[in-house]
Amino acid sequence: MKSKVETVDLNVWYGNLHVLKDVNIQIPERKVTAIIGPSGCGKTTFLKTLNRLIDLVDNARVEGEVKLDGKSIYNPGMDVIELRRKVGMVFQKPTPLPKSIYENVAYGPRIHGVNNKDELNVIVEESLRKVGLWDEVKDRLNDSAFALSLGQQQRLAIARALAVNPEVLLMDEPASALDPISVTRIEELIKELKKEYTIVIVTHNLQQAWRISNYTAFFYYGELIEYGPTEKIFKTPEKELTFNYVNGKFG
Amino acid sequence: MNTDNRRRIKDNIILSFFGIQLLMLLIILSYMVGILIIGGIHVISWKTVFTSMLKGGLFETIIGTFLLFSGTAILAAPIGLGAAIYLSEYASKNNKIARLIDQAINNLAGVPSIVTGLFGYTFFVKILGFGISLMSGWLTLTIMALPIIVRGSEEAIRMVPKEFRETAMALGATKWQAIKDNVLPTATPGIATSIILGIARIAGETAAILFTACALTMRGLPRTPFDPIISLTYYLFVILVTSPSTSQNKAYTAAIILLSLVFLLNLVAIVLRAHYRRKWRR
Amino acid sequence: MKTKKELKLNHRKMVKAERNVKILLFTAASTTIVFITLITLFIFMETIPVFLNENLRIKILFSQVWAPAYEKYGILPLIMGSIIVVAGALVISIPVGLCTAIYIAEEASESLKDVFKSAIEMFAAIPSVIYGFIGLVTLTPIVAKIFGLSSGKNAFSASIILAIMVLPTIMSLSSEIISSVPKEYREVSFALGASKWQTIKNVILPTAKPGILAAIILAFGRAIGETVAVLMVCGAAGSMPGFPFFFDAVFPMTAAIAMYMGEAPMGGELYHTLFFLGLILFIITSIVNTVADAILKKSKSATSGGIEI
Repeated sequence: MKSKVETVDLNVWYGNLHVLKDVNIQIPERKVTAIIGPSGCGKTTFLKTLNRLIDLVDNARVEGEVKLDGKSIYNPGMDVIELRRKVGMVFQKPTPLPKSIYENVAYGPRIHGVNNKDELNVIVEESLRKVGLWDEVKDRLNDSAFALSLGQQQRLAIARALAVNPEVLLMDEPASALDPISVTRIEELIKELKKEYTIVIVTHNLQQAWRISNYTAFFYYGELIEYGPTEKIFKTPEKELTFNYVNGKFG
Repeated sequence: MNTDNRRRIKDNIILSFFGIQLLMLLIILSYMVGILIIGGIHVISWKTVFTSMLKGGLFETIIGTFLLFSGTAILAAPIGLGAAIYLSEYASKNNKIARLIDQAINNLAGVPSIVTGLFGYTFFVKILGFGISLMSGWLTLTIMALPIIVRGSEEAIRMVPKEFRETAMALGATKWQAIKDNVLPTATPGIATSIILGIARIAGETAAILFTACALTMRGLPRTPFDPIISLTYYLFVILVTSPSTSQNKAYTAAIILLSLVFLLNLVAIVLRAHYRRKWRR
Repeated sequence: MKTKKELKLNHRKMVKAERNVKILLFTAASTTIVFITLITLFIFMETIPVFLNENLRIKILFSQVWAPAYEKYGILPLIMGSIIVVAGALVISIPVGLCTAIYIAEEASESLKDVFKSAIEMFAAIPSVIYGFIGLVTLTPIVAKIFGLSSGKNAFSASIILAIMVLPTIMSLSSEIISSVPKEYREVSFALGASKWQTIKNVILPTAKPGILAAIILAFGRAIGETVAVLMVCGAAGSMPGFPFFFDAVFPMTAAIAMYMGEAPMGGELYHTLFFLGLILFIITSIVNTVADAILKKSKSATSGGIEI
């Protein structure tokens, strides 16, 4: 099975703080990989190394390799803009941009040079349909995105990321701020999306990881403790630490 | 050249252009101030500072400025601090009067100094009969200093963590005791900063004192608060507007003294503020 | 051990003291209301004679010459003077102020940011009369030389000095507003593949627009109220500025008040006319402040979106 994203001996420092230690992982194509582990143990940092959003952190240092489709993304000649188009990200807070619903989704394509009104219309409709928002908002595309509910805003954020036609979708606790109904909708959406996209999702909700992921990676204070098919990690993990965590022995 | 590089170059060009503007601005400003300092640095002498104006010195102007801002500080600081304490500790946000007071402060801050001077002239000088005097100047300048002191003190007081009051009051202290013994001492650097900034503003003010406190008639130092004075700013103004080519040396001297005073005050305020903001960074 | 009676008396004293303190503080706070009311009242009161005196009204509003020595009180040249000088100042200071504010907020490193902000504050603290002095010494001679004029005291010089004086306002307010745009907006934009400038232009600036507008309006208020510096370099000519007006001497309203108040006999025509000018300035700055405040309040509530289901 092809690995879409791969890290080799990945290490990250924030100043003198060693945040990620020797992470070696192969993330398979078109599957959902869940990243679990206690809070503050580098899960978000790990995600940020995959789309080089870590470049924006002032005193961060990255060593090792991160490969997308076999090619290292930290090479000096790498087109970071193209990388970020291919590897999209959805954050915990939906953060709608201060624009209309339409313009939120159209923002990505616009900055990549798509200015033709017809093209944009198609892209916006397609993206909104994919996240199940189209019927809900098609009559008020010009309304401010702030008028949407939190659950809708998060689906909008996903549509926004999809609008640039990525191949990988990174999701950082996308449902943790939402009510139970919205959470279910997002989880259903993710299960649909994995048919087309490779998804890496950070979650502190173990039941969620169990429900939606094919593979699970357990991170503990910057180290990848164990990684494998979700069923194995949850039912018959190899490491005691993993066992204790998935059975709720510690937070 | 891929899009990434192209965009990076565009980024750099645009932002460098902005940076160059900033640089040029700073250079021009420094040049302008520099010319002033260089022009005056070799003519300034302690003699001028301490010689009376009747003998070609600047003594009275310095005393005038000093008297002006000291008196204003003595008047405005308690009132401003009191207002700030009231607004941050005693008035709930929804209180209509509190909002009115807030509005009043904002409005006062926006009144042009010449208009405040006009008011001072008609009210303090004429109607209350104080005449063109130190007293009228103090009152007029207090109006201008109040917004600065109130806003700054309010900020300093609000920065003090809630716990300081709650702990004291849980031990049985009254509200005022809690404020007096716990909140105010902590907020003192911030309050001091606002007062210093207020003084700095007053020290450099000309328009408001033009016809409320200053007169050219030389009668030596003011003997009572109802005598007029000459301030550094007023002196400079008159000299530069009426006789631009003569007495340049004294003008430069006065300018440097004024500039040093204002810069010093602002520097102290900035340092104080940086210190206490770092301490209470939320 | 204090007796119950003693404790009760003590308690009553404390409550009384508390109440007195509150009254004292409230009095201090209400002086602000008293002051602003008095100012409003008296400015209006001293202007009323102008409205009542038909003769004066005509002289003020329809004359195109300001020459109090000849009993000419036309304020039109003064108003034009203010408008020209303020417009000129804003034309320079708004673009430069915005560009530099963007640089400070987005490009400068943390330590440089503090240095720049302190430098701006220092320049803002320079007294008005010193700016006038600087203008006389450095600017007007150069202007006269470059443009071949007999004197460098004109609208052009006044605009430049005024621009320098309002730049700190625009720069410090705008850079603060830009910095306060939530960092999540930047993250989202970068994650989609936008470049720095694209993010600034399409996300940060639109979000900061209300605040920047408020900053510009406040700068306008400050510019129109500036007195001493413009007085020293404006040329103080009481006639209508001709075309092109930049190298004409002008006489902004503030400068006129400052220059003529000293020689206006109390209660005379000049006296009330000057108050009329003061009233115009007062009304303009009041509107400016109210509008800027309203914009700032509105923008604070607009970016806190997201209604829970």
